[in-house]
Amino acid sequence: MRARIIDRQDVPLLIDLLRRDHEVIAPFYGRGRDTAFDVVTDENRDQVQLHLPNPYYPPKRYVLPHMQRLMRYTLGAQPAVTSDGEARKRAIFGIRSCDVAGLFMLDRHFLGGEHVDVYYKNLRASLFLVNVVCTDREQDIDEDCFCVCADSGPAARENFDLQLMDLGEAIMVVAGSAAGEALFGEAIFRKATQEHVERRRAILAEVRKGFKKATSWYGATMRLISQGEVSDEAWEEVGRRCLECGGCSYVCPTCNCFTVTDRKVGEKEQEVERVRLWDSCALSGFTRMAGGHNPRKAVHDRRNRRFFRKLAHYYVQRQLSVICVGCGRCVNVCHGDIGMPNVVEILRRRSLEQGTR
Amino acid sequence: MSSALVSGKAQIENVYLPKSAILDRVVDEIDEVKTFFWHFENAVDQETFRRFKPGQFAQVSIYGAGEFPASLPPSPTEKETFFTVRRVGSVTAAMHALKPGQRFGVRGPYGNGFPMEDYHGKNLIFVAGGIGLIPLRSCIVYALDNRERYGKVQAFYGSRTPKDLMYVDLLKEWERASGFACHLTVDRGDETWKGNTGVVGSLFKKPGVTMELDNTIVFICGPPVMFRFVLKDLKNMGFEDRNMVSTLERYMKCGVGKCGHCCIGVAYVCSDGPVFTLEQIRKLGEEI
Amino acid sequence: MPLSAHKLTTCTFCGVGCGIYLESAGGAITGAYPSMSHPANQGRICVRGWHVHEVASSPDRLRKPLIRRNGALEPASWKDAYDFVAERLTAVKGKHGPEAIGFVTSPRCSNEEAYLLQRLARSVIGTNNVVHGLGLYRQTSIHVLRDMLGIPAATSSISELAKSDVIVVDGIDLGKQLPTIGGWVIRAKLAGAKLIATGNRGHRVAEHADHFLQIRPNTDVLLYGAMAKVVVDRGLMNVPFVQAHCRDYEKFLLAIQDFDVLWAAAECGVSPEAIEEAALTYARAKSAMILYSTGVEARGAEAVQAIVNLALLTGNVGKAGAGIMPLAEHNNLQGGCDMGMLPDFFPGYVPVENDAERRRLGALWHAELPAKPGVDLGAALGVNGGAIRALWLDQHDPLRRGAEVDAEMLAKLDFLVTQQMFTTEVSQYAHVMLPVVAFGEEQVTYTSTERRIQLTARAVEPAGGVVPAWLQIVRVAQRMGAAWEYESSAEVMAEIGQAVPAYAAASYENLSREYGRQWPCTIDRPLGAQILFESALPAKGFRFAAIERPAAPPRPPAEYPFVVVLGRSLYYWHRDVLVQHSETLKREYGMLLLDYPEGFVEINTEDAARMKIRDGARIRLVTAHGSGETLARLTGEVKSGSVFIPFFLQEMTRALTSGNHVEGDGQHPLFVRVETV
Repeated sequence: MRARIIDRQDVPLLIDLLRRDHEVIAPFYGRGRDTAFDVVTDENRDQVQLHLPNPYYPPKRYVLPHMQRLMRYTLGAQPAVTSDGEARKRAIFGIRSCDVAGLFMLDRHFLGGEHVDVYYKNLRASLFLVNVVCTDREQDIDEDCFCVCADSGPAARENFDLQLMDLGEAIMVVAGSAAGEALFGEAIFRKATQEHVERRRAILAEVRKGFKKATSWYGATMRLISQGEVSDEAWEEVGRRCLECGGCSYVCPTCNCFTVTDRKVGEKEQEVERVRLWDSCALSGFTRMAGGHNPRKAVHDRRNRRFFRKLAHYYVQRQLSVICVGCGRCVNVCHGDIGMPNVVEILRRRSLEQGTR
Repeated sequence: MSSALVSGKAQIENVYLPKSAILDRVVDEIDEVKTFFWHFENAVDQETFRRFKPGQFAQVSIYGAGEFPASLPPSPTEKETFFTVRRVGSVTAAMHALKPGQRFGVRGPYGNGFPMEDYHGKNLIFVAGGIGLIPLRSCIVYALDNRERYGKVQAFYGSRTPKDLMYVDLLKEWERASGFACHLTVDRGDETWKGNTGVVGSLFKKPGVTMELDNTIVFICGPPVMFRFVLKDLKNMGFEDRNMVSTLERYMKCGVGKCGHCCIGVAYVCSDGPVFTLEQIRKLGEEI
Repeated sequence: MPLSAHKLTTCTFCGVGCGIYLESAGGAITGAYPSMSHPANQGRICVRGWHVHEVASSPDRLRKPLIRRNGALEPASWKDAYDFVAERLTAVKGKHGPEAIGFVTSPRCSNEEAYLLQRLARSVIGTNNVVHGLGLYRQTSIHVLRDMLGIPAATSSISELAKSDVIVVDGIDLGKQLPTIGGWVIRAKLAGAKLIATGNRGHRVAEHADHFLQIRPNTDVLLYGAMAKVVVDRGLMNVPFVQAHCRDYEKFLLAIQDFDVLWAAAECGVSPEAIEEAALTYARAKSAMILYSTGVEARGAEAVQAIVNLALLTGNVGKAGAGIMPLAEHNNLQGGCDMGMLPDFFPGYVPVENDAERRRLGALWHAELPAKPGVDLGAALGVNGGAIRALWLDQHDPLRRGAEVDAEMLAKLDFLVTQQMFTTEVSQYAHVMLPVVAFGEEQVTYTSTERRIQLTARAVEPAGGVVPAWLQIVRVAQRMGAAWEYESSAEVMAEIGQAVPAYAAASYENLSREYGRQWPCTIDRPLGAQILFESALPAKGFRFAAIERPAAPPRPPAEYPFVVVLGRSLYYWHRDVLVQHSETLKREYGMLLLDYPEGFVEINTEDAARMKIRDGARIRLVTAHGSGETLARLTGEVKSGSVFIPFFLQEMTRALTSGNHVEGDGQHPLFVRVETV
């Protein structure tokens, strides 16, 4: 483990280091307990928080924006298509381990398979991740967090450039990549001792005990879903509580579906942009075909889809993990309380009632 | 026009950018269906595209309206490239309004296509209903153009009325062709119709029709109701799921396995499909 | 707040007023997401809120004022547009008098817009012909609540639903209209509250009801009356509350005796046990909330009276988890009414006929104000066309809403000015069109259904020099000689505080500290009031309504065995112009129209099975007045024996009623026969 130590008061200096070459995004407080990732400027630099509730608007939007232009083209006899690819160097300071795991899944989706999504690649390739380990029970960890069940936290094991962990009297910085390690030459870093390593272990062990949603009956649920043993009644129970808002998909670090639309640019009749926007399989129009057939018309079929995509063996095998990072956002965003933990619980209860074991 | 994004040193092709195509001519097929003959403006694009496989599709962009997936009805053995498109929504309506000489965008070919090489030496049975003939046309023409590679080749095709039969000129050729049995039917005839009436499945029982179970691949494509009934008939005859193959349709946006709309269970219809055997369809994890 | 690219604001779709953040970059709004801490939604929004950024950045917005010259709308300068409007209004006023001019706001207009427009109408033109949302919104709730409670607004707050033992949802499909409130209700039920749903249609929230009373159309007064009688017969009324705080109880008691439960059950089409159980559940609750619609699915006056009677009878006002919640489906229906876009009330619900108050306001506005209530503009434009000669429409298109206004009437106007963000059907009749700024481009206030006055954030600059609607009204007024001086929307709000006592301390400064303020927000209570009457229930301040038992609505004759329900609710939002400018919202709300492109009417699944009608089949509806053909959509949500005709099937509705049907008229229901084609 390539680890160094910095003083607590040097955290802003670390951010300054990053600001030399990157636009740095960091978490700040909004109103009340609202928090958000926003651009670090000279004005707000001192208000970057190390410990605060995980920003609700997921950081996946830095690689898959909520609304993103793919290309523009002109109408007329000779339509010309141009694509403005963004490749801006950005650093996200304070991304949580659950979101890091989510990004890894998005990487596999957009960069793997037969085709590479160049828009994603451009944004991702130039993204420097500074993970912050969740250690503060009051601030960092929400009662709805369950990363320990999804094995994605509280400390990410990989896929970050730097990882900060608050040891109390100092901050440990672990390098997860060559780019991260390259910073270790700076003056603020000093060597970590065995004591620091022990302290880290002790804190993590303690933190893990503090998660309130300590169990989530994933294993058996995965089997039930993969083998098609969940009854229609179970999905209908879930569907009845769904108000089809799409929120679960939008806030989920592993969700990646999008729709594409063409629209005029400004007032110019001749210029059109093609944009992509976050979409959600919770919405009834998601699968509707032009001719009228809609294979997932009923809300309970759509709920079925969501959890299949998150928990079926096929996907788990490829990711070596459930397609859920345990961030708890779907719990918060849902009108009907059918976030991941509750649905797993409903399926568990129903299967016991049915005797499907 | 740039079709590539420079990213660092390597140039990766941007699969979302449509390539410029020019409309050559338009032929009316049946009500609301037209065939559009076209070619890529850039000869290299055309050359690469010509290597498409039967059963693949392309994403067609109509500038100002949007994009939609269109099957590729031509066989790669034919000279011209074309799409046959039914007008169902705003984008297909915009395509129907195009005039020869106008430009539109194409990206592709996408999808897995039918593994026609794997079927060398086998008997081929094509069963199509209505506009389901559009994607199967590609395989049929391919098989006929490579006739010596296959065993017995026959087709069963039906539509609601004679006016709904697709590619009527080609059907006439097929009926006359040697080494190829093409059986037609309509649900309801009219004054001029002299052929069979009845659903497609009724053709299987026509006197003189034999459908070998061994070493035979059955291609099925048509509307959901027809599909269900034909499948029932075929299974009753003893055909196995792994020897029956179809092409599935789903709402698509990206065509390249990223946007998520076309997923059925564990598969992306645009990249794992659209061609699946019935055995694969059963194992997808979701009802089609 | 240290956030630079994120601004806390309130969503402007529906009356919940969810707290959301807008993210912007490069001068455009790029994202939207919910606020975790906002008391009304606490981290949740609906599909519309998630697409606010898409609507806000739509390229189809109007950018320049347009004046019709030689039959066509042509771009003009702002100066010319203001001059033209002022000159034409002055001319019409001169020739036909102030009563010939009408002013209509959309329930989507900000408080500032609504306030200034009615001030223009009253103090500059001299007419009370002002209203919000032509024909669609009932003033009945305002009158009834004012009369019975003294305050025409929700007595409690949205988050109080978490503390309710019993929640009654009257008729409104919360899941589609106000999803965030639907969520609160579902979660309350999951936590142990009992849910009673009443109404003609089933819906998602009703699926969770412990008691779902699916009643025949226009029998709600009978139902609530019968429930009240059960409460009285069992002695479950809250006697101390009634005695200390309510008047006219004896009259109410006398009248309620007629609401025999057996009779009511038979007329409503539910079992008497169901009515009894629902009544007992409600009466035994420690705290109970009743939710009903005041807008899109509004009830008649007597239904609202019956609802308030129940709440008063059981003492469910002025304590945690209890109350009466008149729900506004649009984001500023409440605010628009608070601001006086009502023909018979000045801002603050002061009757125009109240001499002293009229003079007080007149002094504030430096003008003598008209004492005669304004006309029913919908009727004025629909039936006796000639009375109104000029019309000002602020973000409202009456042709899209299925209201009583006929396009022909609009075409005959001497002058029509519209303020719009996008071109819609009414634009073709406009003489002047003024573009307005979009959400996120101005700082103004809206008042949600829980009385929460909230400030929106100005996240980006308005594109192309478009001016906020409120400022346009100021400019026109100034051109007409009014000495109006408002440098900012905050100054408009300051004046509102002087005109409307409940808004007295609702300055922008106060509103921006937390999450707006729920009125009454006064100098001595600047933090606002979450629950009305909590600190002090008025001595004899509430009044029971003695409702004479109405005749049961007539039953269908054999020839026309189905009763027609002319519905808005479920399909209302697809006509919303904002929805049209989001790819996803357009898809979601337009789906039914894709499935049934010629339109449809809804028939109960079992009724259809008996008639051998399949989903999507062509059918003919025949009434005593006429007939029309359309497609059938089968659903279990519609009560057996009724046919639901969505409002946008205007031709069908006209054919079946020959223009005579008055919506919501329980005594003259429309009966129909369904035939296969």
